[in-house]
Amino acid sequence: MSLHLAILIAKHLKNSAFKNKAVFIITLFISLLLVYAVLSGWENYTNQNQTSEKYQHESREDWLKNPDKNPHRMAHYGNFAFRKSTSLSVFEFGMEPFFGNAIFLEAHKQNTANFSEAGFSNSMLRFGEISTAMVFQILLPLLIFFLGFNSVAAERENGTLKLISSQGINWKQLLAGKTLGIASVIMILFLPAVLVLVFIWLLLQNFSISFDETLKMILFVGFHFIYLLLFCAIAVLVSASCKTSKKALISLIGIWLVFTIILPRTTQAIGAYIYEAPSKIQFNSDIEKDILKQGDSHNPNDSHYKAIKDSLLLVYKVDSVQKLPFNYSGFIMTEGEKISSKIYNKHLENLLHIYEKQNRFSRAVSFLNPYIAMKNLSMALSNTDYDSYIDFQKKAESYRYDMAQKMNALQIKYISNQKDKPAVIDKNHWAEVQEFHYEPKGVLSVLKNEIASVISLFSWIILLFILIRLASKNLKAI
Amino acid sequence: MLALVFKNFIRSKGTKVGLWFLLIIGFISLLIGQQFQQKQNKNITEAAVYQKEHIVRNASFHKDEMGLLLYYVKFSLVNKTFPLNSLAIGQRDVNPSVQSVTIRGLEGQKYDSELNNPSNLLLGNLDFSFVLLYLFPLLIVAFTYNIVSEEKESGTWKIVATQSNNTFFYILKLFCIRILSLIVLLTIILFMAALLLDIPFKSSLLTFYIISILYILFWFAVCFFIVSLQKDSNFNAVILLTIWLFLIIILPAAINTYIVNKYPVPEALELTLKQRNAYHEKWDMDKKTTMDKFYRHYPQFKNYGIPAQEFSWLWYYAMQQMGDDESAKQSEELQEKLKQRNQASQTIAQFIPTLHTQIQLNEIAKSDLENQLLFMQKTKAFHEKLRLYFYPKIFDNAAVAKENWSKFKVETFEDNSQTNLAKSLLPLLFFNLLLIVPGWMNFRKNQAVM
Repeated sequence: MSLHLAILIAKHLKNSAFKNKAVFIITLFISLLLVYAVLSGWENYTNQNQTSEKYQHESREDWLKNPDKNPHRMAHYGNFAFRKSTSLSVFEFGMEPFFGNAIFLEAHKQNTANFSEAGFSNSMLRFGEISTAMVFQILLPLLIFFLGFNSVAAERENGTLKLISSQGINWKQLLAGKTLGIASVIMILFLPAVLVLVFIWLLLQNFSISFDETLKMILFVGFHFIYLLLFCAIAVLVSASCKTSKKALISLIGIWLVFTIILPRTTQAIGAYIYEAPSKIQFNSDIEKDILKQGDSHNPNDSHYKAIKDSLLLVYKVDSVQKLPFNYSGFIMTEGEKISSKIYNKHLENLLHIYEKQNRFSRAVSFLNPYIAMKNLSMALSNTDYDSYIDFQKKAESYRYDMAQKMNALQIKYISNQKDKPAVIDKNHWAEVQEFHYEPKGVLSVLKNEIASVISLFSWIILLFILIRLASKNLKAI
Repeated sequence: MLALVFKNFIRSKGTKVGLWFLLIIGFISLLIGQQFQQKQNKNITEAAVYQKEHIVRNASFHKDEMGLLLYYVKFSLVNKTFPLNSLAIGQRDVNPSVQSVTIRGLEGQKYDSELNNPSNLLLGNLDFSFVLLYLFPLLIVAFTYNIVSEEKESGTWKIVATQSNNTFFYILKLFCIRILSLIVLLTIILFMAALLLDIPFKSSLLTFYIISILYILFWFAVCFFIVSLQKDSNFNAVILLTIWLFLIIILPAAINTYIVNKYPVPEALELTLKQRNAYHEKWDMDKKTTMDKFYRHYPQFKNYGIPAQEFSWLWYYAMQQMGDDESAKQSEELQEKLKQRNQASQTIAQFIPTLHTQIQLNEIAKSDLENQLLFMQKTKAFHEKLRLYFYPKIFDNAAVAKENWSKFKVETFEDNSQTNLAKSLLPLLFFNLLLIVPGWMNFRKNQAVM
C-alpha cells in the first residue's frame, strides 16, 4: 500500500516535470551533449589505438629487420612501449590526456613516458573534457537538482503539503515518492544512453568481449545508476528541509559546486602543497649520486668494478679479462644494469610514495564527496586512473630490464673477448625478445584498489536512508 | 543613499561570507603560486649546481677522449619563469622548464617530459587564474541574481519604486557597489600577490590586472542583462548558473575535444621511430654515405674526410646528426601541427570570454603552448650552437683539460614576446558592450512599468 502511494507521487512528479518546457529543453540538450561525448570518445579511442598499434607494429618490424650486429647495439636500438586505451575509455577519459603515449626502452636508461596530449595542448585543456562519464557525473546531478529543488519546498509554499499530509500520506512515502519521481525522469535520459553505450561498446570490439571487460562495463553502469539515485535523494531531502524553494535551490547549487568543482581541486591542491614532490633534475641527480656511490662502470679505476674483475680473474685463473671464457664487458654491463635499475626503482618507489600521499588527501575526502568516489571508481574501471598508468610504466620498465639483460646475456655468450673476430651475432636472435604487450589491470584488482570509493558510495546510500528516516520523523508540513 | 545601499549590502551575512571566502581562497592560491615559484627557482639553482658537478666529474673520468666525454655531458637550458607565472601556472606544470641535452641527436631528447603526478594535472592547479575564472563569477552571480526579483518577491520593490525617482539609477547603484567591492577585492589579492611573489609593477602586471577587471565586468554584464529581463529569482539563479556552466565547463571542454580530434598528432610517434632508425641504420651502412650527407650539411668540416678506423667519433657524431637530419621533416610537421592547434584554439577562444581570458592570462604569464613552442625552438638553437662549438674539438680530439669547462653555465631563455593589447582586450570589451546595451534598453523600456 505504502509503495503504491509512493509510486503515485512519483508518477505525478514525472508527468508535471515534462510539462515544464525548460526541463524538456535541458533534457534534449544533455542528450545532444551525450551524443557528442560518445562520438568524440569513439574518435579519440580509435585514433589512439590505431596510431598506437600502427607504430607498435612498425617498431617491431624495424627491430626484427636489423642485420647481424652486436647485441649491445641492439640494446641501444631499443624498443617502444606504446600506450593503448581500453574500451571503457571511450566513455571515461580520466587522466588519459596527461599520460605519456610512448616510452623508449633502451639499455642503461629509464626514459620518461613522452608525447602526452597535454604536452601538445594549450591551457584550454585544463577546463576538462566532455566525456560520457563527465555528463553522468557532473551534468546529470545538476539536472537532478534543478528537477528536485522544488519537489517538496514548492508544495510547502503552495500549501499543498498540508493537503497531502491530511490525505494520510506520511513523510516517508512522500520523500520516497519524490525521489523515485525524479529518478524516473532521469532514467528517461540515462537508460537509453546506457543502451547506446553498450551497443557502441560492443561494436567497437566487434561483439567479441572478454568476461573481465563485461564485468567492468556492468559495474560502470551499475555504480553510475546508484550515484544518480543518491543525488535524487539528496535533492528531495534538501528540498524538504528548506522553507522556500529558493532556499532549496541555492543550497543545492551550493552542494553541487562544492562537490564537483571546489572540493576536488582544493583537496588535490592541498595534498600536492603539503607533500612536495622532487623535480626531475633533483630526482635524476639523486639517482646518479647513488649509482656513483655503488661504483661507476665507466670509470676504469672504480673499486667496485675492479673487485669484480679481480675475483673473476682469480676464479678463472687467468691473468687478463681477454682470456676469460665469456665476454667480460657483457658481464660488467649485466652487473651495471642490475645496480642502476635497482637504484632507479628504489627512487621511483619513493617518488610514487609521495604521489600516493598527495592523492590520499582527495581519497579521504571521497568519503565526504560522492563525486570523487564515483570519479575515482569510473576512472579505475576504464583503466584511465593513476594506478593503471603507474602499472603501465612499471610493466614497461620491467620489459626494458629484461630486454637489456637478454642482450647482455647474448653478448656474454656469443661475443668474443678478442678483437680479432667481428663482434656481431646472428639477426635471428632479435626475435627472441618478445614484443611488448600490456594487459590492463583486471576488474578484481581494480575493485580492491578502489575499495575506499566503493565503501564511500555504499555509506552514502546508508546515510541517505537514515536521513530519510530521521526526516520523516522530524519534518513539519508547515 | 549610496552609503545606505552600500551598508545594506556589506552588512548582509551572505556578502560577508562570500567576500571572506574569496579573499581566503585567493590567498591560498597565492601560497600555492609561491610554492610553485620556489620549486621552479630551486629547480634552476639545482640545475646550475648539478651541471657544474656533472661536467667536472665527467671531464676527469674521460680526460682522453673529447668524443666520449661529450657522449655523456649534458647542458641545460632554462625557460625563465616570470614571477607573474605563479598567478597563472597554465601548462608550466605539464611541460618541463629545464631542458638538459647532450650534443647527440636532439629529436630523441627534446620531448622528454617532466615528472608528474597525473592526479595533480587532471584536477588542475588552484592558482589565482582558477580563482578568478571559476570563483569570481560564482560570487558575482550570487550577489546579483536577485537584485530586483528579491525585492519584488518580498514586496519591498514598490516602496523602493515610490521613494526613488529613478529606479534604474537605483539598480545601477546596486550594481556599482557590487562591482566596486569585487574590484577592491581583486586589487587586494593582486597587491598581496605583488608583494608575496615579488611581481614587478610593470606593464605585464597592469595588463593582467586590466584583463581581470574586464573579465569581472563581463560577468556583471551577464548578470545585468539577465536581471534586466525581470524574471523571478529562481529563474535568474538557474539561468545564470547554466550560463556559468556553459562558459566554464561545457564550451571549453567541447572545443578542446574538437581540437584534439581535429588535429591529432601521429607525427610525434612517426618522428620518434624515424629518428631511431635514421641513426641506428648508419652503423650498418658504408661510412662514406653517412659522411657525404654530413658534409653536405656542414661543408665547413669537409676537410676531415672519411675516417679510416673502424670506429671514430667523427663518424659517430655524423650518424647521430643523421637521426636529426632525416627526421627533420616529421619534426617540422609536428611543430606546424602544434602551431595550428594553438592558432585554432586562440581564434575560437575570442568568441568565448572565459577561454579567451584564460589563454590571455597564460600568455602574459608565459605559461601557454606558445611559450612551450618557443622554448623548443630555442632548445634547438642552443643545441646547434653547442654542436658547432664542439664538433671541431671532437674531430681534432682536442685535449679535454685545455677546455675551459667552467664557462658552460646553465643558459636561460627569456620569452619576451609582447602581448597584443588590442587582441587581448577587444573581445572582452565587445562582449561587455554586447550585454550592457540591451540590458540597459530593457531597463529603460520597463521603467514605466516598474
